[in-house]
Amino acid sequence: MLRRSLLALLATAGVLLTVPAVRAADDDDVETLRQKAIHAAVVKVAPYVVQIETAGGADMIVSGGQGKPVIRKGHGPTSGVIVGADGYIITSSFNFVNKPSDIFVTVPGQQQRFVAKAVARDTTRMLTLLKIEAQNLPVPTPAPKGDSQVGQTALALGRSYDAIDKLPNLSIGIVSAVNRLWGKAIQTDAKISPANYGGPLVDLQGRIMGVLIPASPRGEDEISGVEYYDSGLGFAIPLEDVMAVLPKLKEKKDLKKGILGITPQSPDIYGPAVTVGQVQPGSPAEKAGVKVGDVVKEIDGKPVANQAQLMHLLGPKYEGDTITLKLQRGGEEVELKNVALGGGADAVAQAFLGILPMRDDPEVGVEIRYVYPKSPADTAGLKAGDRITKLGGAQGQMQPFSGRDQFLAMLGRVSAGQEVKLEVQRKDGGKTDTVTVKLGPVPEDVPEKLPADATHKKALEPRKGVPGAPPPPPPPAKGDDEKKPETGLVTKKDAGGTRTFYVYAPKDYDPNVSYALLLWLHPVNKGKKDDIKEFTDAWEDYCKDNHLIMVLPTTDAQGGWVAGDADFVQEAVQSTLGAYTIDRRRIVAHGMGNGGQMAFYVGFHDRDTIRAVATSGAGMTGQPKEKQQNQPLSFYLVAGGKDPLVKLIAETKTKLTEAKYPVVYKEIPNMGHQYLDIKTLEELVRWIDSLDRI
Amino acid sequence: MTSPRIVAGLLGGAALLLCPLTLRADPSMAEVAAQVQPKMVKVFGSGGVRGVPHYGTGILVSPDGHVLTVYSVMLDTPDLRVHLPDGRRFHAKVVATEPQLDLALVKIDKVGNLPYFDVPKEAERPIAEVGAGVLAFSNLYEVATGGEPLSVQRGVVSAYAKLHGKKGIFDAPYQGEVYITDAVTNNPGSAGGALTDRKGNLLGILGKEMTNSLTDTWVNYAVPVQATVEGERDGKKVTVSVAEFVRDAIDGKYAQLLEKPKTAAKAFHGIVLVPNVVDRTPPYVEDVMPESPAAKAGFRPDDLIVYVQGEQVPTVKACKELLDTLPPNTPYQVEVRRGDKLVTLSLTMEPGKEKPPKPPTTDDRRNP
Repeated sequence: MLRRSLLALLATAGVLLTVPAVRAADDDDVETLRQKAIHAAVVKVAPYVVQIETAGGADMIVSGGQGKPVIRKGHGPTSGVIVGADGYIITSSFNFVNKPSDIFVTVPGQQQRFVAKAVARDTTRMLTLLKIEAQNLPVPTPAPKGDSQVGQTALALGRSYDAIDKLPNLSIGIVSAVNRLWGKAIQTDAKISPANYGGPLVDLQGRIMGVLIPASPRGEDEISGVEYYDSGLGFAIPLEDVMAVLPKLKEKKDLKKGILGITPQSPDIYGPAVTVGQVQPGSPAEKAGVKVGDVVKEIDGKPVANQAQLMHLLGPKYEGDTITLKLQRGGEEVELKNVALGGGADAVAQAFLGILPMRDDPEVGVEIRYVYPKSPADTAGLKAGDRITKLGGAQGQMQPFSGRDQFLAMLGRVSAGQEVKLEVQRKDGGKTDTVTVKLGPVPEDVPEKLPADATHKKALEPRKGVPGAPPPPPPPAKGDDEKKPETGLVTKKDAGGTRTFYVYAPKDYDPNVSYALLLWLHPVNKGKKDDIKEFTDAWEDYCKDNHLIMVLPTTDAQGGWVAGDADFVQEAVQSTLGAYTIDRRRIVAHGMGNGGQMAFYVGFHDRDTIRAVATSGAGMTGQPKEKQQNQPLSFYLVAGGKDPLVKLIAETKTKLTEAKYPVVYKEIPNMGHQYLDIKTLEELVRWIDSLDRI
Repeated sequence: MTSPRIVAGLLGGAALLLCPLTLRADPSMAEVAAQVQPKMVKVFGSGGVRGVPHYGTGILVSPDGHVLTVYSVMLDTPDLRVHLPDGRRFHAKVVATEPQLDLALVKIDKVGNLPYFDVPKEAERPIAEVGAGVLAFSNLYEVATGGEPLSVQRGVVSAYAKLHGKKGIFDAPYQGEVYITDAVTNNPGSAGGALTDRKGNLLGILGKEMTNSLTDTWVNYAVPVQATVEGERDGKKVTVSVAEFVRDAIDGKYAQLLEKPKTAAKAFHGIVLVPNVVDRTPPYVEDVMPESPAAKAGFRPDDLIVYVQGEQVPTVKACKELLDTLPPNTPYQVEVRRGDKLVTLSLTMEPGKEKPPKPPTTDDRRNP
């Protein structure tokens, strides 16, 4: 049976193609022929696949789906594909997430290795272009995109092992889908992992279909999707697309995603029709004249029936690409031609009035504790002791509000640069004024001195509501039956009883005062009780004077924190929130080194809890997550001028600022990789004290 | 020589025509499995703690009940048992072990005429090339019980390479070249299983579960039947192959190799590296001691040491560790980055007794 079908197969194939291959040796069956074809394809592509190694850079924590990430490191040798005879190599940005100081490339067949420079990145496709000083390198011809068919054999190649003389490492699968990740990638079930990220996905004819990357539909940074390694879910960016943008990359221009700047009304991406809910100020959409209420009908002549289709059409676009938009506005159709997409730099900065409110005050409105010098509030003549009672837009109606959080929620709809009106009741029963204030951006420095008087100590009293405003939230629960919460340094266990965390509350803890919460994430191997004690001792006076409570989870893992610890950290935070009166606006993740990286991770991961991240000697790997208007996040970054990581930390500052997060950055010239000096520490305390700024 | 394109075209056409046929189980694979399974056994020993399973897989290598499996703490029990594919159960004892090959030979008694792999003969075959189809037979996750046949997995040879090429990345006991496959064989109980080609010829013995510590990813590998190790026996340097190990162990005369003696003192090179401030500090040369081997080799301050004997040393730690293991009086090729070029230097170290000057230390964390 076997033999007969085999003969039939070979005969048919022979008739079809009349090639001499049919007269193969006796043991040649279909599978053997297939293997020969695979081998031949690998041999053909091998000269284009280089090995990439790096040195220096940071260790990192990698985020993953639902806080279940495992992979911490990406230092191993990885792969790249030659795309220019004069030394251009395209590879996965995964290889450089930790910002290595040096990159080396091994070209097959050449004993002498090369020093490589990163030329530019394509941040939409997580690719990096490298350049080495080499000539006459072989350059592959990409397989036409249209030739990639679901079900066809796909070979994933990498150079994870011996790079000079041997064939690349290989995994075989099929093309699982095309146009994945909003139109950007080929999907394969071949085993894709750090062993072949940056390497090619090849067809049976030995043509390169794409460049392998870790990717996930859920995240857009260089390391999203690493958690899917070897799982049968892998992605490759079509080489044809890479070649198309190669000239731009060679000009050392980072390529960014093209952003239109509209937010659809409905969050349902498969809902019917895309009705514009918001047009971002300053965005291409606004400039082109898109209005709230417009319905997007077509992009570049292709119909848009729902948000998912819109994402598919815009997904592959770069900053600067132009599109044609067809909109329905009321009864008429509007066509907008040559709309140039933006680079996403138009996230809106948080608006800043320039005051600190008095805390734990059940009265209506907001009493001013402190006015920032030269701030919009200062310019408008607001003074400490004044009480703001109503807020209105430049033309709108004045609305009363109950307390800081309602005030902030209302201001959240206003962006920096816009004007608002405030009704102010002057200090000590003075007259009532209405002032107009032009809001500004959050300052990048911390006030030199803040008034010690910060609270009316009535946190547990019910807040007074006002007509026309939503009812105020109930006061925090008093805790278990009048039992006084523990103070001093307290040792705790998680629910599983396996992991230890500590809580430090000042001896004079008063539940009627809302405390800031400092979450300390210690550096590697500094989680023993003595280390924690040393740390809390140093903070003791600040905790007392500035109403701070600390929660200090620990890890005894050799490598320090991993992202998978986030659940445990969150548990420690939540248990502290339940036991003490904590100001939800001032919950700070603070860490150093690996702990600092964990602080970044926790900050972006637990958006509904963490309001600020303060780090020393830690840079952020990957891109910051998008800013959320109702979940503010502020950053305080300290870098030692002599810390090898100083460059990475400075870059972190740039990235966060570009994403419009408020950032305070301190570079301390003579400091190495260490904790804070007293001056910076005291400033950090003031910064925490000012996190409820308005 | 047929051009690959033609073969590929041929296959494409053939596959299209014969789609319905290929949907059925490949009869040849069933035949191969039927031929391999009788030569495979399940091994049970101690374990069940610290990630070491109490079960594993073994390969019959003689008609009289000699079983080849991996060298593991699992074997360290008086209650070692082997289950034959026909369901019979036996007590077994360890006959010989070779940690450097990561292999052990165990024996069950009162059996005969068992089907087996003739390892010396299997070892005569050439190494399978990248892309060759392979089958893995193992008792992964103890799925097969009693007389049930082992689980079969399919994949290809991904690479034939040294896991130890990069020092410290892999914790593999066997340091030579191994088969790396894209079949996911790193499962509890897989170790000691058989990696065969599509025709059921023995290619290698499945290795233990192992991760690449640089990427924290799992690696699937098998020690090839052609593997050899060097060691010392009776004061002489000897090389032992898997075939010799199996043959001598069956004859009851295998003596474990002594590991190659480590150099007593670290050799002297005279390179002072920059202080190891963070884990990833690259190995920059801070100073070169005058008249030292490094000075003679042409090292300069600010050189970045990149490769030592072709092996990348990405950090100060890795560089020191590697240099410390190398014996003196042999020239080593060291590639350093100087400006934008890699320069190859030849370093011959001297027998060591020196104490290099202590590099300045940096406090990792000063108290606030």
